[in-house]
Amino acid sequence: MELVINGEKQHLELVGTIQDVIEKLGLTGKPVVAEADGKVLTAELWTETSVYPGMKIELVHFVGGG
Amino acid sequence: MHTDSLTIGGRTLTSRFFIGTGLFPNPYVQKEAIKASGAEVLTFAIRRINLASTEDDSILQHLEGENYVYLPNTSGARNADEAVRIARLARASGLSDWIKVEISVNERTLLPDPIETLKATEQLVKEGFTVLPYTSDDPVICKRLEEAGAAAVMPGAAPIGTGLGILNPYNLGLIVEEAGVPIIVDAGLGSASDVTQAMELGVSGVLMNTPVAKAKDPVRMARAMSLAIEAGRLSYLAGRIGKKRYASASSGLDAFKLK
Repeated sequence: MELVINGEKQHLELVGTIQDVIEKLGLTGKPVVAEADGKVLTAELWTETSVYPGMKIELVHFVGGG
Repeated sequence: MHTDSLTIGGRTLTSRFFIGTGLFPNPYVQKEAIKASGAEVLTFAIRRINLASTEDDSILQHLEGENYVYLPNTSGARNADEAVRIARLARASGLSDWIKVEISVNERTLLPDPIETLKATEQLVKEGFTVLPYTSDDPVICKRLEEAGAAAVMPGAAPIGTGLGILNPYNLGLIVEEAGVPIIVDAGLGSASDVTQAMELGVSGVLMNTPVAKAKDPVRMARAMSLAIEAGRLSYLAGRIGKKRYASASSGLDAFKLK
């Protein structure tokens, strides 16, 4: 399935939910925050949020800053 | 000093040092500098994950096991809507509902946009965040942010990362005089003397990143800043003498001088 993740097209096989996307990208267990179609998703919502072709997903994390 | 604590958003802090986590030479120095600073509040930014190298370790993994207050910022936001979006993402991490509103439009000065900052503060307060807006050193806007429900207001001393020190101590003094919430000086400080000056003006705390992280010895500078905060705070509480134009002897009456 083709998704737009962090502004770039990504082709991921066998993904049904945001949780699957996180796993496919090797981000399981990391302090990641997801947003899909402009909606912020806490981790509990990842398994129940389905993805579809062309969905816009943002994956962010904390970095150093002042 | 143990009774001289600071409470923000229901959280009592024993340190008046808020420290940023950017620009340190490496995670080890960062961790040691944070320890030396005694800071309990740590600031962070929110950025997209680099999908090309997800091996990039998160800043948080080096700080695990400590009881810090996380203060994510909305840096990168150019207006209130973008800041609100970043704040929601930060809160969804489950790590903190504190947010430093930071909205800059001018790349050269990075000075805050106070109008957008006020809008974002109003919205985020409504959504239940503990909001600490970074803003201009203007007494009117600082008061407006307080009225909007900011848990603390954070005027800049000078533009971010410049180390110019307090450009307008008069304004900062007025801001403190009129404030009903803690005032934290955020941005522009360069050295321990700047920090002492800020604390002597009566601010409740300081937020620093660059002057510690980019010092030749960040760990030592963190300690220096921490001592400066304490010295300035004590001096403020003790009450300095007034300034006079002419000398006055320290040893009493003229009548007892040897002649």
